[in-house]
Amino acid sequence: MLHRKTHATRRRVLAAALALPVLASVAACGDGGDDDGSGSGKAVELSVFWWGAEERASLTEKALALYTERHPNVTFKKTWQANQGYFDKLATLTAGGNAPDLFQIDDNYLAEYATRNVTLDLNPYRSDGELDVSKFPESLYQYGVVDGELAGVAMGENTQGLVFDKTLLDRHGLPAPTTGMGWEDHIAWAERVSKTAKVPGTQDPSADYKAFWVWLRQQGKDLYKGKQLGFTEQDVTRWFELWKGARDRGATPPPDVIHEGNVTDISKQLVVTGKAATSWVWANQMPELKKNTDDELGVVAYPGDPSGQWARASMYLSVFRGSPHRDEAVDVINFLVNDPDVAQVLGTDRGLPSNMEVRRKLADAVDDPAMKQSIRVEDDLADKFGPAPSVPPAGHSDVKKELLKAAEEVQYGRQQPAQAAAMYFAAAKSAVGQG
Amino acid sequence: MAAAPTAERPAIARRGPAAPRPGPGGRHRQNLPGYLFLSPWLVGFLLITAVPMLLSLYLSFTDYDVLTPLREVHWVGWDNYRRMVTADPSYWHAVRVTLTFALVAVPLKLAVALGVAVLLNRTFRGVGVFRGLFYLPSLLGGSVALAIVWVSMFNRDGAFNSLLALFGIQGAPWVNDPRWALETLMLLAIWQFGAPMVIFLAGLKQVPTELYEASSVDGAGAVRRFWHVTLPMLSPVIFFNLVLETIHGFQGFTSAFVLSNGTGGPVDSTLMYTLNLYINGFVRLDMGYASAMAWVFLVAVGLITVVLFRTGRFWVHYSDAEEH
Repeated sequence: MLHRKTHATRRRVLAAALALPVLASVAACGDGGDDDGSGSGKAVELSVFWWGAEERASLTEKALALYTERHPNVTFKKTWQANQGYFDKLATLTAGGNAPDLFQIDDNYLAEYATRNVTLDLNPYRSDGELDVSKFPESLYQYGVVDGELAGVAMGENTQGLVFDKTLLDRHGLPAPTTGMGWEDHIAWAERVSKTAKVPGTQDPSADYKAFWVWLRQQGKDLYKGKQLGFTEQDVTRWFELWKGARDRGATPPPDVIHEGNVTDISKQLVVTGKAATSWVWANQMPELKKNTDDELGVVAYPGDPSGQWARASMYLSVFRGSPHRDEAVDVINFLVNDPDVAQVLGTDRGLPSNMEVRRKLADAVDDPAMKQSIRVEDDLADKFGPAPSVPPAGHSDVKKELLKAAEEVQYGRQQPAQAAAMYFAAAKSAVGQG
Repeated sequence: MAAAPTAERPAIARRGPAAPRPGPGGRHRQNLPGYLFLSPWLVGFLLITAVPMLLSLYLSFTDYDVLTPLREVHWVGWDNYRRMVTADPSYWHAVRVTLTFALVAVPLKLAVALGVAVLLNRTFRGVGVFRGLFYLPSLLGGSVALAIVWVSMFNRDGAFNSLLALFGIQGAPWVNDPRWALETLMLLAIWQFGAPMVIFLAGLKQVPTELYEASSVDGAGAVRRFWHVTLPMLSPVIFFNLVLETIHGFQGFTSAFVLSNGTGGPVDSTLMYTLNLYINGFVRLDMGYASAMAWVFLVAVGLITVVLFRTGRFWVHYSDAEEH
């Protein structure tokens, strides 16, 4: 008896084990998205995956709860984690055919995922009116378009922001940096801060692609022209030399501290750890920075003509092409970006709301001082912005990483600017597949 | 639970006389329960180790990029292997970093382990406590927490520099200095000498005390006793530790990953082979290439182990073998 029973169980376990992958593949191949619309009322659980800190998690959970309140049939399986390791996990999930229905993505990988058909083309939903991006600034909507497909919807807008420690400057009677200050002026100012306040005036941004990018655009160049590089080896040399000069004058911290600033996350930027008076970040990161310091912070545009900056999509939400609940997922995105109540919950955590009407309402209602500041600086810049570049091509994350490596070779004094520039230019060319 | 075996035992006894059944069929049937009992491990090995390994061998000849479905990958022949050897300077850089790490950290770790084991191989009050304390870092293994502590101890304002400052020495920013970052990693690896130490201790207990007595009588001092008695008698254990630690040393990943935020920096100074492999596979999504790197690594570590075994013939003494 006992014997037969175990056999039966074993057989059942075996059958189940064999059936599991089959079921999983059926689920993965099935495109239920076509046959049950969002209004059908059938119970649906959508998986959502994003990176961020705890703050973002609680805000996002509240926003999603709001959606469930209005559509009780739709619930969410929420997963979030720190930025580090996020894309490893997303890639692994995708490889297994288990990508989340909805996931957060940024410029580093949007083109990679879109060109490999992982993201759903949202254009049909836009023409059906199920996804409304009509109140987005044109450039912000365009930012999510890869090879003609709408691969992601901008969850927020941001722009480069130079954040400074106002308390420190005030204490030493030093002037605050201003928007429109030239690069040489900025370095001279930083040198003065270093000498007076005994805190390095500015983080050396030579390893920072977004500072390099603004600097290029101010000279009529760009990081990319289509899928090619938009700059020359000489440009890189001049960029590295500019900052070598700044380091030699004592305007920046020593190389190991620069390195810390280069690789750390937002919570340990030098402006909040007190290791430099200025950090080069995104304007919407002000509230997050503020959380890590008692000092008062200020934010202005990067040096040079602010027309070098542009309204950028801080990050996107995309829908997995293989999701069985595509229609519902799109409806959730539509809700998150267009509903004014959601904006009150999410604030500027992912950048200024993409929908201009929603953004104005939020600006009127907001009372967090750091958030107010980041809204104000972006509003001030809005009419000075230059045209937005197109979404970076596949290989962008390598282009960024190679810049970090080459710039640090110069920072540590292991290579001359020209030498490192030649190395970088070759590596960046091969990263974007340019012959 | 306890009732089952007792109920089973008489049954086996009764079947006993009929058991000797020669022939291949019977033998096969006898093996079946064995395989069934092995099955949890066997299934795990096949599904979690063997199949993915073979798949990665196949992928190493393709352009698999993680995001593209497996059925759409393209066969690229030996391209990935060729690229590694001829067109990827960071590959060779990582090989150099890894070899440097293993060649320095492994012998030093073994030396420290042996030294401490010799010191602790006597009886004094609290010897057990000391053994436990020295073993402790090993327990924490390749843990992330330990690497984080290491980073905070060995940066510009870390505890180590505060200590140096007491003697008026201005320390380097160790982990954030490309000249010292790898050395700091080596130190972390050496500090975790507990596991080989415990094995050495066990080995030392096996050395017959008569040998020491005899050599003392012949006038050998402590140093000579160590060189001519301890070391030869311990050579099989040294060999065992050497092989294990070499393999372990080549596979160093966690500490390099944590210390450099996954970049292998500053300026690639901690770009260990496995970290480079990870970056290619999971950050660059170049999984075909990463698979090829993994296979070259497997073969290389295998070859190094074979070489160690070959050289072992010349310096490893098995006392029982000599008697024959």
